[in-house]
Amino acid sequence: MTQILLLEDDPGTADEIRLELAAAGHGVHHRATLAAAAEAVRAGGIDLLIVDRQLPDGEGLDLIAALRADGFRTPALVLSALGSLDDRVRGLRAGGDDYLPKPFALVELLARVEALLRRPDERRDTRLIVGPLDLDLLEGKASRAGRPLDLLPRELKLLDYLVRRPGRIVTRSMLLQDVWGYSFEPNSNVVDVHIGRLRRKVDGEGELQLIRNVRGQGYVFDVPA
Amino acid sequence: MFSMFRPDPRTRATWRWGGALAAILILQSLVLAAIFWVTANGNHRRAIEHTLLDDCSFFALTPPAERAEELRERLARDIHRERFLALFDAHGRRIAGNVATMPVLPAGTGASIVAPVAPTELPGKTSDVARLTLCPLSDGTRLLSGMDLDDTEEALRLTWQSLLFGLLPGLVLALGVGLVAGRRAARQVDTMRLLTERIVSGDLAQRLPVPARPDSFGLLCAHINTMLDRLQMLVADVRGIGDDIAHQLRTPLTRLRAGLERGLREAQDRAGFERVIDRSLAEIDGLLGIVAALLRLRELEDGARRSRFAPVDLTRLVEDACELHRPVAEDRGIHLHCNCVPVPPIDGDASLLIEAVANLIDNAMKFGPPGGTVTVRLLLDAGMPVIAIADQGDGVPPAERSLVTQRFYRVRIEGSGAGLGLALVKAIVDLHGFALGFAPQGSAVTIRCGRTGY
Repeated sequence: MTQILLLEDDPGTADEIRLELAAAGHGVHHRATLAAAAEAVRAGGIDLLIVDRQLPDGEGLDLIAALRADGFRTPALVLSALGSLDDRVRGLRAGGDDYLPKPFALVELLARVEALLRRPDERRDTRLIVGPLDLDLLEGKASRAGRPLDLLPRELKLLDYLVRRPGRIVTRSMLLQDVWGYSFEPNSNVVDVHIGRLRRKVDGEGELQLIRNVRGQGYVFDVPA
Repeated sequence: MFSMFRPDPRTRATWRWGGALAAILILQSLVLAAIFWVTANGNHRRAIEHTLLDDCSFFALTPPAERAEELRERLARDIHRERFLALFDAHGRRIAGNVATMPVLPAGTGASIVAPVAPTELPGKTSDVARLTLCPLSDGTRLLSGMDLDDTEEALRLTWQSLLFGLLPGLVLALGVGLVAGRRAARQVDTMRLLTERIVSGDLAQRLPVPARPDSFGLLCAHINTMLDRLQMLVADVRGIGDDIAHQLRTPLTRLRAGLERGLREAQDRAGFERVIDRSLAEIDGLLGIVAALLRLRELEDGARRSRFAPVDLTRLVEDACELHRPVAEDRGIHLHCNCVPVPPIDGDASLLIEAVANLIDNAMKFGPPGGTVTVRLLLDAGMPVIAIADQGDGVPPAERSLVTQRFYRVRIEGSGAGLGLALVKAIVDLHGFALGFAPQGSAVTIRCGRTGY
């Protein structure tokens, strides 16, 4: 079981996050002050940090910076009240690995936590074979159980992204950010429609559904057993 | 005692004005006196020296035997008793004249100096001040010739007196003018102070009086009035936004509450509750979307994000935006036509710019006729990249074009969305210093990607 340290001073928010993460099978250690959190991390055994920005005894980013300076490589997810887009840059500069502005959906938080805990295989394999899927990125071709899939370049990239994160929720904003390279919240369902098309091409009639829609929040690539 | 006397700060202006004027007058009088002194003194001295030198040359030509007689005659003719004439022998003893002793003077230079003399014929006077010259004569005797300076001194004293007496009314005048000017300034400041007090207490409708032909103070008042206009507008804006936000949130919140209530009452099983929760989540996401958009608007208007500007490839960006929307367009039966020319890179924030373009494409697909064509073009106009997005509809009615970029303004009431899209687009365009425009005919909306200065 992974151990997550949650540094958050608002008890209500902390409870919600703890329940969500616990339900997903993570051990959560909640601390409300920088000092207590620093002590817990230095004691060891922590796999991930979730750090709020404004705390009673200071700035959450300072903790991350201090830990990084001491050689702690524990991945950190920074939470912050919405209000400044530059916060994201500052958060990442201070050593945070991802950044989530409040208010956020718990599913989005969970998706990013899992993404951080299991960093995807970043070796740029040009050939991916997962279950019935065979992706040849060099040739720009993909097939399912020998049936060639007629994918557009963007669809191949989407599939590549999903396949490298099997069993984990991938949210729309993650897709837009990592596959398209833009971070914004579109006010229409543009990403859904792209995924919808990809699903229709990948999951043929009578075939096992590989790309699953997690209602409201994102998608999961299910590896066939 | 002084501590009990608390001067009104406004009287300081009076004293400063009066003091400054008086100082100017005194300086003026002093300069005048000095000029008079220098000029008058110079003229008088030249006249005296001329007379003295005349005497010297006359006596030099007079035979030595007749000199004493001539001298006595001259003194007798001097009815004003202002002349000093005396002959001294080589040992400095007086031969004739009305000066008792020979003063020590530089001889033979023709120069005259002012020195005291001892008169012999003036009753009650043993010393007097005169301008003197000492000329050596051919037989070794010396002639002392001089002119009494009593008259000159009298004239100068009169000058000084008249200047001083003239100064007195001047000083009174200066203080008077200072008093009036100071009072006037104090009155103007009082008007302003009373007004600002009323403004501080919340009455923003007050304005300062500005005369028809304003002086610098009047101009200042006009400036302050302009500032108040702007302030009043901003306050009205803020109040309006607050009302708008409350109104915009109230409707979905009411809907959310009603839905939850009904769900609680009517849902029979787990599936029923799930449907209610799904609907509620969608409502809440909508609400959060409004809040997030408002916060982003405020942030964009702050302009802090400019620090993240980097060169942006507009061609790729517009093509990406088209590619992103193509499946949606096809699903809705809309032909999305994209036409981009290569343009030089511009400084900007790619995520914000694509958000603006995406918003405009979204609007075009939403408000254009069903089954129509949406055209996205990137072109160069006079070297400036221009993004133009058009549908086949009529576009925003001209009368509403200045309104659509305001928060919560919706051209069609029945349409979905909170009316924040174009406000966001405008904020993004403004942040970049670009210009958002509407084509005079049709629905084309353009972003001119050139610095218009910010």
